[in-house]
Amino acid sequence: MSTVDNSVSGAVPGAPAPRRQPAWLELWPVQALLFLALLVAVWAVTEALNLVIPAYQGQILLFTGINVIITLGLNLITGVTGQLSLGHAAFMAIGAYAAAICTVSLHLPFALALLLGGLVAALFGVVLGFPTLRLSGDYLAIATLGFAEIVRVVNTNLKITNGAIGYYGIQKRVDLPLVAMLAVAAVAAMAWLENSRNGRAMRSVREDEIAATASGVNTTFYKIQAFAVGAFFAGVGGGLYAHTTTFIQPTDFGFLKSVEQLSMVVLGGMGSIAGTVLGTIVLTAAPELLRFMSNYRMLVYGATLIVLMIFRPGGLLGGVDLRDAVRRALMLGRSRTVRTSVGGDGQ
Amino acid sequence: MAVDGVSMDVRQGEIRALIGPNGAGKSTIFNLVTGVYRPNQGTIRFGERSLNGVPPHRLAGLGIARTFQNIRLFSSLSLMENVLIGAHSRGRSGLAGAVFRLPPFRQEEENLSLQAWEALAFMGLDQKAGELAKNLPYGEQRRLEIARALVSQPRLLLLDEPAAGMNPQEKSALMETIRRIRDTGITVFLIEHDMRVVMGISDRVAVLNYGKKIADGLPAEVREDAGVIEAYLGTGGKRERRRTRPVVALPQVALEGGAGHAGN
Repeated sequence: MSTVDNSVSGAVPGAPAPRRQPAWLELWPVQALLFLALLVAVWAVTEALNLVIPAYQGQILLFTGINVIITLGLNLITGVTGQLSLGHAAFMAIGAYAAAICTVSLHLPFALALLLGGLVAALFGVVLGFPTLRLSGDYLAIATLGFAEIVRVVNTNLKITNGAIGYYGIQKRVDLPLVAMLAVAAVAAMAWLENSRNGRAMRSVREDEIAATASGVNTTFYKIQAFAVGAFFAGVGGGLYAHTTTFIQPTDFGFLKSVEQLSMVVLGGMGSIAGTVLGTIVLTAAPELLRFMSNYRMLVYGATLIVLMIFRPGGLLGGVDLRDAVRRALMLGRSRTVRTSVGGDGQ
Repeated sequence: MAVDGVSMDVRQGEIRALIGPNGAGKSTIFNLVTGVYRPNQGTIRFGERSLNGVPPHRLAGLGIARTFQNIRLFSSLSLMENVLIGAHSRGRSGLAGAVFRLPPFRQEEENLSLQAWEALAFMGLDQKAGELAKNLPYGEQRRLEIARALVSQPRLLLLDEPAAGMNPQEKSALMETIRRIRDTGITVFLIEHDMRVVMGISDRVAVLNYGKKIADGLPAEVREDAGVIEAYLGTGGKRERRRTRPVVALPQVALEGGAGHAGN
């Protein structure tokens, strides 16, 4: 879809002259079709890929895709809106269990189960959003941590989730093409959200709540919305996860999982979609690829993170405007559109 | 700091100044008007409607915009984006609009962009629209804050010490800018310490001291007022010793008008 470039026709002196695409390209139906075509292309490519690459690498790609969907949600909450969340895995758990129960116990179609998993997680996202009314920064982080623990303990003790034994018998319904399409759709949705009045409002909450309020932004609303949408993505990711591993247990979604997810966002650059994707790829693939030095891989993994945080605390792509960087790399000169923002520096 | 029994009005189309020594309660008045503080007693009216209990984020939509004493910009965002956020109340699209991007959404984005450009151009910042706010020199940061306030097309603009930290040329330019703003039909209400600025542009001046209003009128009248002179300079001679008395908290006497208390 068109990214709205904030240049306007030359009525105002100083405004850059607009880049004009051919008129038909700007029509909404055309752009909708182009997007669908992109999804089909992704599906086709990954179907082909699936036939060629070995199962192990395929699994890595698959889990990377699932993680991307989940971490994009966390990026929205923490990177874009500035609400530190240490319990993101709880939303993944809620989505996983909800989707699993839908297919196994309720015999609902898979797509519906996935959607419901996301929506139930979103509902809990709203619930977790309310403490943000009174808490901020470190205190909010503790509250999210507590929430994640509550979810884990509840899952361990409910009958319907089969408790500590774990939920088994889930059908394997997920393959690489599906995950790839959903991941691409997730990235697109996040990019569109970022480049909108809604996205700007969320960033203003991160930057300065008082100034945001004075500008007319209902900061409470957008914080809660961030949690809801972020949770939705995590819930869908959780549902995909459950139908990949066919067996889930409460300890899959504990604090370490939340930390992993946060690391992916922070590594790539908080607030940056491309950064989040990159960080997720690196931190999903690296432990697997370093398996050959498995005794030391956690050491290397941890050390890498520390080195990166010392030399690039903004994350790999933090502070980088992707369009400008690509143009410079291709030597096309600086972009003529007005840069509306750079991936947040985060906290 | 409490504000005690202050009654004042701002007339449409005027440039109204609020002055007084540090701690007199001027920012408290601003915070009362913008809903950050709620008054214990009294009402705050904007035209026909009461502002009591109106949540702060609704004020921009009602036509009240403000700048801050310590400059509150969205530092890691660009000038353009800062101003676009200022226009938040002028738009309506939400989550659905952003994701589906149908023509109404795109039209609204274009309109907001145009308004943002105009605000930046009005304040002379359009050439730097793509820069990050934190990279601007101080004077331009102040101008950006004003641009962000203007883009919401307010009826009333509150300026909190707009001349702070400016050199004389910048202050003269600021005075000219404020006049230009008033000429577009916006009422300006400002807190300011620089007397040249205040006396130079204000239609009426109100003076606070220790939470009470001690003078209110034309700049020339206020400048001659004995109480005002004493508040700022003290009087000489045997009264000199009194000036070092510590500031005491005022009793919360309910008088006519707005009495406000910091907090909630």
